[in-house]
Amino acid sequence: MRSLYRTAAILLAFTAASAAQSAPPVSPTKAPAPVAITDTDLKSVAPPKAEERAKGDPDGSLTGTAGDITVTDTRKGLTISDLVNQVGQNKIAINFAWTLLCGYLVMFMQLGFALLETGLCRAKNANHTMMMNVGVYGIGMFAYWVIGFAIQMGGVGGVANLGGIPTLSSEFAVNLFGKPFGLWGQTGMFLSQRGDYDVAVMVLFLFQMVFMDTGATIPTGAAAERWKFAGFALTSFLFAAFTYPLFANWAWGGGWLSTLGTNFGLGKGYVDFAGSGVVHAVGGLSALAIAIILGPRIGKFGRDGKPHAILAHDIVLVLTGCLILAFGWFGFNPGSTLGASGNGALRIGSIAVNTMLASATGMLAAMFYMWMVYGKPDASMTGNGFLAGLVAITAPSGFVNPICSAIIGMVAGVLVCVSVVFVERMLKVDDPVGAVSVHGTCGLWGVISVGLFADGKSNYGGAWNGVNGSVTGLFYGDASQLVAQLIGVATLIGFVFTLSFLFGMLVDVIVGQRTSAKSELEGLDLPEMGALAYPEFEIKVQSTH
Amino acid sequence: MSVLIGLLLSATGLLLSILSLTITTSVAGRLVLVIAGIVISLAGIIGFVNRAYVKNAIWRADR
Repeated sequence: MRSLYRTAAILLAFTAASAAQSAPPVSPTKAPAPVAITDTDLKSVAPPKAEERAKGDPDGSLTGTAGDITVTDTRKGLTISDLVNQVGQNKIAINFAWTLLCGYLVMFMQLGFALLETGLCRAKNANHTMMMNVGVYGIGMFAYWVIGFAIQMGGVGGVANLGGIPTLSSEFAVNLFGKPFGLWGQTGMFLSQRGDYDVAVMVLFLFQMVFMDTGATIPTGAAAERWKFAGFALTSFLFAAFTYPLFANWAWGGGWLSTLGTNFGLGKGYVDFAGSGVVHAVGGLSALAIAIILGPRIGKFGRDGKPHAILAHDIVLVLTGCLILAFGWFGFNPGSTLGASGNGALRIGSIAVNTMLASATGMLAAMFYMWMVYGKPDASMTGNGFLAGLVAITAPSGFVNPICSAIIGMVAGVLVCVSVVFVERMLKVDDPVGAVSVHGTCGLWGVISVGLFADGKSNYGGAWNGVNGSVTGLFYGDASQLVAQLIGVATLIGFVFTLSFLFGMLVDVIVGQRTSAKSELEGLDLPEMGALAYPEFEIKVQSTH
Repeated sequence: MSVLIGLLLSATGLLLSILSLTITTSVAGRLVLVIAGIVISLAGIIGFVNRAYVKNAIWRADR
């Protein structure tokens, strides 16, 4: 109770100081000490009179006053307890609103992916590609609601910015090398176990669900123009139910990667602020597994193994998609504070600026690389460089300064160009949209860059992953953080790829993964979806040739 | 068979990275072991899994 009085006294002192702005400045040595107040003092704080309020409030000075604070006991009137509870609720309300709004922005990225992937495919597959991007939203969400969220967040323990969430507190762990290794959460299925019917759990679910769905939509690009819709549906379900949630639990849900710091002294444990690894590398490596299983599109490689370009049908859609994705990324990265008030969340401005800087340098690096090496500033690769910068900055955005953000984005812009060529010419893997390079390669780069560039200046409540202090990378004095990041990379490659591949083979046995050659040559719109995306366009083509 | 070897190598790389946590407490030692693990995993994926699929790729078939 004493602390409540103190808080209220400080609040009143602050209000008094604001009101006395016109008074002559007071010497710091003579500043009045905060005075403890009582419920009686609050009686003098009167809400505006009804007749004043009835005249309207054009300047906003009568709206949002003491009269709007919920009073628990009308006989007592406004008390300090009411006041302090309102302050706490305001903080959590700000964080709820921030997290939800950012979640809506991330959901909007689905449209960006849909346009980008569809534009990069041929017109004869447009309906099929769009439907995969729409379908993955429903399929992924359903699987995540049934079990994925529970596996990922069922043992997270508490999220201070969202008011605690004590109900998600059951993590299954094994004992390894004398330390607990958290493997998966055990509560939250159907959002209906124990106390999961909870306002904060709902906010966390929405935000984490749209993140998962971003990851789930990545393979649809790499597998486009030859993926059987049934195979896509089952693969997406498995991704959202198991593949993504398992790694996300290890990184964000209190699992073993996040405790590498507390258990083994490796920096602050595996650190991935908004998901270069959790979302993008998981999606990119799953995309690689599916693309290998499917094999290349007919005509992509000649019998001598040389790749042939299969042109995008609408570059306008591609670049519109890229811009929508960049817009949505302002929900992705700054939203990962899960709040705008308290625990260092005011860094959201820095995170947003880092995000936009990396996208700019990524785009410029890719554009100039293509211009210099191939003679033209290729539009689709410029778009991919734009996204590569965003993917790479996603993990470090909360821990680096603007200069390092620009460097991270620039490296990603070049890396994506080199990786696309490597995947196509060396691996002979057909990836129509460059998803493996944009999300896989640059996602891994983003994870590593935390271990290099984190500058030790962030402060999210004084600790990260239960280790006191700020996340600090190799260039700022902590080499052990880089080791933690590389263990994350090893897990992504060794576990996520392997599990995705095994799931992909299983689906291939159950429903088949690849469409028939006849369907592929005809275009997947009619054989798989039953309707063309552009029927008039097809008629026009037929009538003019 | 080649695919199976590749997947096993991929998992072995991860295992080596995890074992680095108990084999040594030195940061440099762990760094070397983890990088070795990543290389083994990548060798499994690129050298075995992908190669097995490329060997039977559609563009190699007589058409």
